[in-house]
This record gives sequence, structure tokens and C-alpha cells, in this order.
Amino acid sequence: MSSALHSLVLSIIPASRTAEDLKEDIVSHCQEILNRGHEADLSQVVDLVKRRLLATSPNGSSALKFSNLLSRLLNQPVLSRKPETIMFLYSLASSPAAQPSAILLPLLTSPPYQKTPVIQQVFNDASKGGMVTVKSKATLLRDYRSEKSHSHLPESVLLRDALYLLQGISGKFVRFSLTKEEENRILFVEDAKWHIPASTQALIHRLAELGYLYSRIERFVQEREGANGVGTIEQSLCHHLHQQLTQYYRLIAMLETQISKAPQVSDDSGMSHDGGRDNSGLSLRRLDVWVNEWRLRMRMMSVCVEGARDTHGGALVNLIHSYTDNGDPFVRMFTDKLLEEVSRPFFATLHKWLFSGELYDPFSEFFVAVDANMGTTSRVHPSSLLGGVNQISGDGGFTGIGSDDDFSGLRENGVKLWEAKYRFRKEMLPMFVGESFGRKIFSTGKSLNFIRYSCHDSDWVLTREKMSNTGGLLQYNDIGGLERSIDTAYRIASHRLFEVFVEKFRLLDHLSALKNYLLLGHGDFADQLMETLGPSLARPANTLYRHNLTATLESAIRSSNAHKDPVDVLRRLDARMLEYSHGEIGWDVFTLEYKVDAPIDTVLDADAMEKYLKLFKHLWQMRRIDKALDQSWMRIIGGARAFLRVPDLEPKWHKTRLVVAEMIHFIRQVEAYCRLEVIECSWKGLIDFLNKKEGDLDALIEAHRLYLDRVTKKVLLWNSKPGKEDIVLFQVKEIFLVILQFREAADNFYNYCLSESSRRDQDMDADRGVYTGNPQVRNQPQDALPGLLSRLNEYGSTYSDRVQFLVQHLQVHPDLDCRFLGIRLSFSEFYKSKKDQNLHQQRS
Amino acid sequence: MSTKESERISSAQQTLDILHEISQLLNTRLDKETLATCVGMIESGVNPEALAAVIQELWRENALLTSVPR
Repeated sequence: MSSALHSLVLSIIPASRTAEDLKEDIVSHCQEILNRGHEADLSQVVDLVKRRLLATSPNGSSALKFSNLLSRLLNQPVLSRKPETIMFLYSLASSPAAQPSAILLPLLTSPPYQKTPVIQQVFNDASKGGMVTVKSKATLLRDYRSEKSHSHLPESVLLRDALYLLQGISGKFVRFSLTKEEENRILFVEDAKWHIPASTQALIHRLAELGYLYSRIERFVQEREGANGVGTIEQSLCHHLHQQLTQYYRLIAMLETQISKAPQVSDDSGMSHDGGRDNSGLSLRRLDVWVNEWRLRMRMMSVCVEGARDTHGGALVNLIHSYTDNGDPFVRMFTDKLLEEVSRPFFATLHKWLFSGELYDPFSEFFVAVDANMGTTSRVHPSSLLGGVNQISGDGGFTGIGSDDDFSGLRENGVKLWEAKYRFRKEMLPMFVGESFGRKIFSTGKSLNFIRYSCHDSDWVLTREKMSNTGGLLQYNDIGGLERSIDTAYRIASHRLFEVFVEKFRLLDHLSALKNYLLLGHGDFADQLMETLGPSLARPANTLYRHNLTATLESAIRSSNAHKDPVDVLRRLDARMLEYSHGEIGWDVFTLEYKVDAPIDTVLDADAMEKYLKLFKHLWQMRRIDKALDQSWMRIIGGARAFLRVPDLEPKWHKTRLVVAEMIHFIRQVEAYCRLEVIECSWKGLIDFLNKKEGDLDALIEAHRLYLDRVTKKVLLWNSKPGKEDIVLFQVKEIFLVILQFREAADNFYNYCLSESSRRDQDMDADRGVYTGNPQVRNQPQDALPGLLSRLNEYGSTYSDRVQFLVQHLQVHPDLDCRFLGIRLSFSEFYKSKKDQNLHQQRS
Repeated sequence: MSTKESERISSAQQTLDILHEISQLLNTRLDKETLATCVGMIESGVNPEALAAVIQELWRENALLTSVPR
């Protein structure tokens, strides 16, 4: 042991090899040091070493290497005191660097500098003694100043003031200007004795900026803490600012300890520029360095504070977010952190909105705004809805919506509720979310809310559960995850909404019912209804009664296939008369009606129903014409051939038959066009969409609207040219009218012929001497014949003119399908050739 | 017997190598020889921190001696 020490001494201090007593001295000294007690714990030591290595090289590679070496060392069997060995190495390693003073701030440790050996110091002192007489220029200047009693203010005093300035407090020699207009300025209090050099003043100005910023931020925080109605996002911002300010206080406190250590030194030496000053002290320049980082931070905060004054909620988040795209890593990190804090309440709201469709936003900071006048506000707890009781006492049977009497007025218009209850506020949408995602979020929450409050879907809890499984925590620093969860939530919510609509509220049933009844898809039903209603509809409108109509409707349903439809659908079907004016007959005012209520009326809104009614009216009239022509055809083909024996009128009948055939062709073509090319094709598109189950309620509404628009436009032959919208429809209606008139004329002609033939029969009977009737009536109808014939002719020619006109119009119709109808109508160019013939005739 | 001995020597050598590496990592300025001595001392029960103090003392002394003109 002692020999080892000897060899150690010899190897380290070569000089001792020659001087024996020196060596002995040293050895005994060392022995003394060694005899102090010791103990070492491996894990502790290792920890120490690692920390030290991390401090010297923060990337951790050396620490890693160390652990590697350590594990190898532990495997070695030779050493018995490994911890001690490591400890030894560690103590040696940590020693050469300057011992950190008791100060906690790592930044405050003075940079490693060349420690002048003690001996050298002594020599310097000695040499100094020899050169006292030589004074530097600075000393001369200082002496001159002190003579004039106009010396510089000691820096230590200014330092104290500077610390005050950092906290926004005026010091003794430097103070903030109190006047309002130059709030940001600082003033130097100078008197005859002390003078502050310009360079120091500039330095202090720089430091004072922090003080100014600090007081600004502080004021903001305090204002907001006191005020009412501060949004949660702002509150969060305040909290973060407050935290930052606390850290700032800590810095100041540390600086203060530094300063309190320094004075003794500086006071003793008089002026701060003395060379012998302790390095751990503080000077204005050092202060400037240490607060440098804080200056940047304070500036950022101050900018945020400034922005927070006029913006609000999501816009504030936006404002902060605009600073995250900064090339300066410091600014970026700071704002990132700030944003994470600040956006937390936003994400809390988002979470609620996205996963439970609940908008809890007392300070309207979210990018979804609620219209409190519309329907249930989301703050109403679902269990407090009145629905439960009223449902039972209400009409029962149906799934029980629209039973909230409070809202029934608004409920009537589900689509309005859906569209206007929540508004999307783009300016409040944080940019990091992106507009398309914002829309998705908006739609998701809206769908959920709708499911909950308008559809009273009790299963929504399940939906929410499903969503919160996928969701997880929403955070600013996990935008990717956020987008994923938004996507899933959107999918689930819209899927659920589809399910609710299609399965619970049987949207498909309603749609097909509308198609089958209002658009006369059920032919047997329509025929039945027409047959039973026809006679009464021919009467004036004011003699019709609604109960008669409904009873007829009922019987029509019973006697057709329609009775196999669900009760709920049939219950909604109703017959009704429109407002009628004088002189109108039943045909003009009769309409079928299909009643929808919330929430189905979100899709089938009032506008849509109006369109359905319009369509029904047109199609119903078409049907009526069809039927009328059928009857008329039966008469003139069957009846006229069988028992009208008026040979001289046979050519007339032939002509009538031709015209009726033409009419039948026309009506058949139009009907087929409506049914096959318009309604069924559009229907298929709608069904395809429904089967896909994609998109949200908006998409559903849009799809239905598209379907209905298409049907309406094409069935009513709507012309897209402005000012000409109804022109073709008008012609078609006129043609219908002409057909009806013609049919009447034909009926009259038929009746005439009937009586004429019976008269002739009578004549023949009389010739044969058989008395079969009163011959006196014979004169009367004979006079009517020319009138009848001329009317028949007139209507016939008007009809063909009109159709020609219509075909012409259809051929230049902007809609392809309508143009195709024109081609169908004059497939053999029947109408065109006629027109050309006419032209030719006119020319010749 | 001799193989065991050589094994021991080689493992000791290895240990010393590792320690030397660690010492370099920690920038202790110790050469291998001194390190071996120190490790031997620690093995025989010397307080490591005290030993470190000794080494430093010795370095300082050495610096003094070398700087003093002989």
C-alpha cells in the first residue's frame, strides 16, 4: 500500500525522485488524505458519471459508450472494488473543471478560463510592485473625473436599478417615464455628481425593453384574470403566460443572488472596472447576455398579447399558429409549446363536438356557432326532453317524433333546423386543422347532434362509444392522429345517420311511396282511383267534399296492390283539394298528398313536397287524358263500327279515328318518356347513392334534391333558357285541353250518330210498318250536324298544329332527353313532313 | 496451472484496458501505468475520493515544482 503510494508519487512528480525529504513529505501528506473514511455505491456512482457525461456531451453518445464499457467491466472477475474505481475516475474527471459555485443557474457559471497557478500569481504581484508608477490612460481619465467630482455612476448601483427595470419598476437612477404619451421611454436621473456614460445608457435601454414587455404582459394577464367572460382559450393563454412569468421571476431571483454576492467585491475595489474583480459577479453586459433569450420570449409573448386583444377563440389560436412557420428554431419551439397549451381548451371542445355532437362553447370560441333560436339547444340534457310522455299519449304507433310541442313549430321545418342551427365560422377555424377537415368536423358534430336531438336515437350512445374507442386524445402536436380520428368519427357518424334514416325512419319506404303514389308509379292504384273518382271530379269543385275524397282514396287503396304497403306509409297518404276559385271543376283542384314529419322532413322538405305535388298534378292530368282517350277509342272503334249505321258519315268517322290514334300515340309517348326515361332513371341514381352509404346528411339531401330536380325538370319539360321556362309545358297543357275538347266533340258526334242511326232504324221500321218510337224528334239533331263536324274538324286541326309546334320546340330543346322525346313523337317525321308540305303549298 | 495464470493475466489486462477507456472518456489525464497503480491501491482498500484528491494534489505539486526555476 505505501509502496504503491511511493511509486505513484514518483511517477507523477518526477522531481521527488531526487529529493528524498520532499518525497517523504508528500507521501505522508497523501497518506493523511487517504485515511479519511470512504464508501461507494455503484449505482450512485454510475449515475453521477452518466450525468456528467451528458452534461459535457448532450447527444448521449459518450454516456452510451460508458454504459457499454461499464457492463464489460462488471463482467471482469479481477477487480473486487469496481465502484470505488469508477468513483476514483469520476472524482478525477470532475476536478479539473472549475468548481461550480453554489448558483443554480448553469448559464451563470463562468466560462472555463485559464486558472493562473498560484505561484504565477505571486510573481505577478511581485512584478506589479515594481511597476506602480506607470499608470494606464484609463486610470488617468478616472482620476481626472474624480477630481472634477463628475465620475461615472458605479455599475453595481446601476445593476440594481437594471434588475428593477427588468421587473418594470423604476429604480433610483433609471426610471420609467410616467407621462402617458411616452410610456415606453426610460429616463436617467442624473445629478451633478454622477454621470452615466452613453454606452451604459444604451445597455440599459436594451435591458429596459424587457421591463416594458414584462409590464405589458403582466397587465394583460391581470386584466384577463379579473375580467368576466374571458374565453377559455384566452384563459389558457393567460395561464401559460403566467407560468412563463414565474420562470422569469426565477431568473431575476437568481440574478439577484448573484448581485448580492458581487457588491462586497466591487465595493471594496471601488470601481467596477478593476481587474481583480471576481468572475462570479454580475455586470450589465452579463445581465444583457443572460436575459437575451428572455428578450425573445418576451417579445413573442407580447405579440400574442397584442393579438389577443382584438381576436378571440379560434382566431387567436390561428394567430399564434401563424408564428409556428418560422425559420428560427427558438421562435418555432416557443410558439409550438404555447400553441399546445393554448389549444387545449379548443381541443376539449372539439372532442366534445366530434364525439358526442355536443357544442359546449360558452364563450363562442369554437368554429361552430349555434343559433340558439333553432330547436333544442345542445345544453339541454337529453333526459330532460319531453318526448317520452307525449309519445304515448300522442298518436302512438309511429316512432314518436314531432311530439315535442315546444318545438313543433320549428320541427315542421327539419331542413331548416339542420341547415341553420349550426353555422360554420371559417375565421375561427384553426389553420392547422385545414378547411376540408373543418368541414368534416362540422358535419360530424352536426350529424351526431341531429341524431341525438332531432332523431331521438337512443342508440347514439353506442355510436359514441364506438367513436371514442377510435378517437383517443386530441392534441395539437399530433395532427396526423387528429386527422385520422376526424376521419373515423366522420365515417361513423355519417354512417350512423344513414342508418338512422334508412332503418329507423324508413326513408326508403317514404321515397318509394312518394314515387309510387304521387308520381303514379302504382298503375293499378292510379287507375282504380281515377275510375272511382272520375265521375265526381267532373263536377264543380265546390260540390266536392274532402271526406268523400278520402273515402274514395281508401277504397282505391284497398282494391289495388297498394294495401300491401306498410301502414305507416298509407297513413300518410291523403287526398285533398287545393284552393279553388269559381268555375273550376274537381279535376283542377284534386291532389294527393303525402305527409312527412320530422326528422324525415329534413330530406323531404316543404319545397320538395311542393315539387312532388306539382309533378303529381301534371302526371295525374296525363293519366286522365290517357283514360279519356282510351274510352273514346273504345267507343269509336267498337261502338261506331258495331251499331252506328250511318254510311254517309263513315268518312268522318275514319278521320276522327285517325286523329284519336294520333292523340293516343302522343300521350303514350309522353307517358313512357316520363316514366321510363325520367322517373326510373333518376330513381336508380338515387338508390345507387343510398346503397353506397357514403357522405353525410347534406349529401343525402343533395342527392334527393338532385333526383327531384331532374324529375321535375324533365317531366315538366323545363327549358333552361331564361324567360322560356314554362313555354313547352304550356304547350303540352294546351294540347291536353284540345284533346279533352276534341274528345267531347267526338262524344257529341257519337251521340248524334247514335240518335241518327236509331232515327234511320225507326224510318226503316216505319217503312216496314213497324212502329218503334216517336218520329217527331228527328228534326232537331239534323241541324246540329254541321256544327258538330266543324268543331271536330277544328279541334283536330288545332291539335295537329299544336303538336307540330311542340315537336318543333322539343327539337331545339336544350335538354337532350326532351329533344329525344321530340324525336319519339315524330319518329317517322310525320309532323315535320306535314309542316314542309304546308310550306311547299304556301310557296306554290 | 499456467493456462489459468495466463488467463488471469489477460483478464486483468482487459480490465485495465476498459478502465483506461473509461478514464479517457472522462478525460482524467491518467496514463495506463498510473491508472494501474491507482486501481491496485483502490483494490487494497484506499478511499477512491481521497485517492483522487491525492492525485490532484500531486499534479498541483508537480506543476508548482516544474514552474519554479530550479
